[in-house]
Amino acid sequence: MSLPVGHYQYDRIDRDFLQARIAEFEGQVNRRLDGTLSEDEFKPLRLMNGLYLQLHAYMLRVAIPYGILDSRQLRKLGEIARRYDRDYGHFTTRQNIQFNWIRLEDTPAILRELAEVDMHAIQTSGNCIRNVTADEYAGAAADELVDPRVHAEILRQWSTLHPEFTFLPRKFKIAISGSPNDRVAARFHDIGILARPGEDGAPVFRIFVGGGLGRTPIIGEELFDSVREEHLLATLEAIVRVYNAHGRRDNIYKARIKILVQAIGVEAYREAVEAELAQMDLERYRLTPEAVAAIRSRFAVPLLEAPSDADAVLAEQRRADPIFDRWVRSNTHVHRDPGHIIATISLKPAGGIPGDATSAQIGRLADLADAYSFGEIRITHLQNVVLGHVRKDRLRDLWLGLAEVGLAEANIGLIGDIVACPGLDYCALANARSIPIAQKLGARFADTALQAEIGALRINISGCINACGHHHAGHIGLLGVDKRGEEFFQLTVGGRAENGAAIGMILGAALPEDETVDAIARLVDCYLGRREGGETFLDTLTRLGHEPFREAAYETV
Amino acid sequence: MKRPVRLEPGQKLVLTANRLLDGRTVWWGADGTWDLHIGRAALLDANDAEAALSRAVEQAQHDGVVGVYDAAVKAVTPPEPVTVREKIRAYGPTVHPEFAVETEQ
Repeated sequence: MSLPVGHYQYDRIDRDFLQARIAEFEGQVNRRLDGTLSEDEFKPLRLMNGLYLQLHAYMLRVAIPYGILDSRQLRKLGEIARRYDRDYGHFTTRQNIQFNWIRLEDTPAILRELAEVDMHAIQTSGNCIRNVTADEYAGAAADELVDPRVHAEILRQWSTLHPEFTFLPRKFKIAISGSPNDRVAARFHDIGILARPGEDGAPVFRIFVGGGLGRTPIIGEELFDSVREEHLLATLEAIVRVYNAHGRRDNIYKARIKILVQAIGVEAYREAVEAELAQMDLERYRLTPEAVAAIRSRFAVPLLEAPSDADAVLAEQRRADPIFDRWVRSNTHVHRDPGHIIATISLKPAGGIPGDATSAQIGRLADLADAYSFGEIRITHLQNVVLGHVRKDRLRDLWLGLAEVGLAEANIGLIGDIVACPGLDYCALANARSIPIAQKLGARFADTALQAEIGALRINISGCINACGHHHAGHIGLLGVDKRGEEFFQLTVGGRAENGAAIGMILGAALPEDETVDAIARLVDCYLGRREGGETFLDTLTRLGHEPFREAAYETV
Repeated sequence: MKRPVRLEPGQKLVLTANRLLDGRTVWWGADGTWDLHIGRAALLDANDAEAALSRAVEQAQHDGVVGVYDAAVKAVTPPEPVTVREKIRAYGPTVHPEFAVETEQ
């Protein structure tokens, strides 16, 4: 069997483990159904297997380690959507996929189907180290310094069923990138890791701790600048040990590592980690070049060959077709190989549901990945899909194939590329609906020429303070709140998750749902009317400050 | 412990839960069974609801439901939930009209 491009190839141990885990969960489901287990006893067990109970049904969250799938895995997700759900799946802000209409009694069968393609739903819930996320352009981007996927896989193997870290004070999220351009929101994670080459060529890792969104948004602080590869696991082990020992367990709202880091200060946290490292058996955790090479050997490397005129062919096609040219401008990124290009496929059709894809679209994406990108697919934390290695002279054919299934929207990084959590339409925690307001905004700014004119502007929407829609990090953020049973939205501006991470500032009192879209349109008009030169929304906001935007948002006609 | 629901004039209480097997939202009917349609839910005064809720919680495993609680509705026909959350539970997600509970048998 050939190795998959982009992700680790399971071996017999991995597969035996999954089968044992499914058998265990099937027994738990049966005991729940016959009443041997109460709901209180069963809930933590189902959550450990990614199964939530939401407003209308069970929801199964399936892990996509570091956001990378192969085409047979994606095809299987489409089959599950068709057979066990209502014909669609929802890609999340943690590079996973959720199915919203799952039956408890079907879950063991679904997990068996997932295991057929080396997938599972472990580490997608519970107070453990969650599925590790990574740069969606890993191993492809021209600006990358270190391909983070091998180390992401090492972190996956280290963290899965880690005996010390199965019952942490709270959930724990790690993101890793190897690019100087942060595409993983590293400083909004419990641990954010940025890899770069060290002086000897081996990677070193800059590590941030204590970042996060949710009820208490905090930008992570640098704990170490240059952790050597051999000490990566020991360092992470020590960081999580300190959190496990000292993180609060008496108050769920103060249990994340960010609260601990803020309480004691990053210097004291660093000292505690160094003290832990000093008494650890470092040899046991040493990540040797041989171990790294063994993991790397289970990834296939794509054979990047392109005709010498691939670039010229693409340039001519762009000249001949302005609609295609607009899509290339917004939806592609520079590949490390001059004959290839990275294509980002928007799951944000105007007026559609951010992150949703039908089983037919999912199946078609798998076919297109086979035809154009070595059968490899990446899911982004911005709820889109990436084909990482597309030959430039074949990009237009890919685009035409995407258009056949409604996936050729030209809006990546623009105002139509809205990030939204499932909100109150599905989520048991939500206070307000995120999707309808995203649909209204998508429809309001549907004109792709207008979106291009507005330029880089990211809107993030969360239906509650848990911030799954990362509203604090949106250039414009919307937080849904409940006021006596009615939906209102609080607006923030100036957030960003990329380099120069910032938390959005609240503009003022929350607005009624039916006034929110108009208020955002006035914010955009304010920016368009007052920008100078080639300023982006954030540039203009930085130059002018918040006041003009606050006045625009709350202007009454 | 869940706070008691405060009723405004013209409001009653209904009992609601999720079905154990498939998680679907259900409403407790006057015939003592759980139903997908809020239109068949029993309308209860606050005093009656407390006893009915206790019985329903005790019977939850037998009846194949989880997470039983009470919710306020306007006492009209069919009863109309007071909060957006309960409206969405009663009628289905607002973003997929084809999944409307009213269209199910």
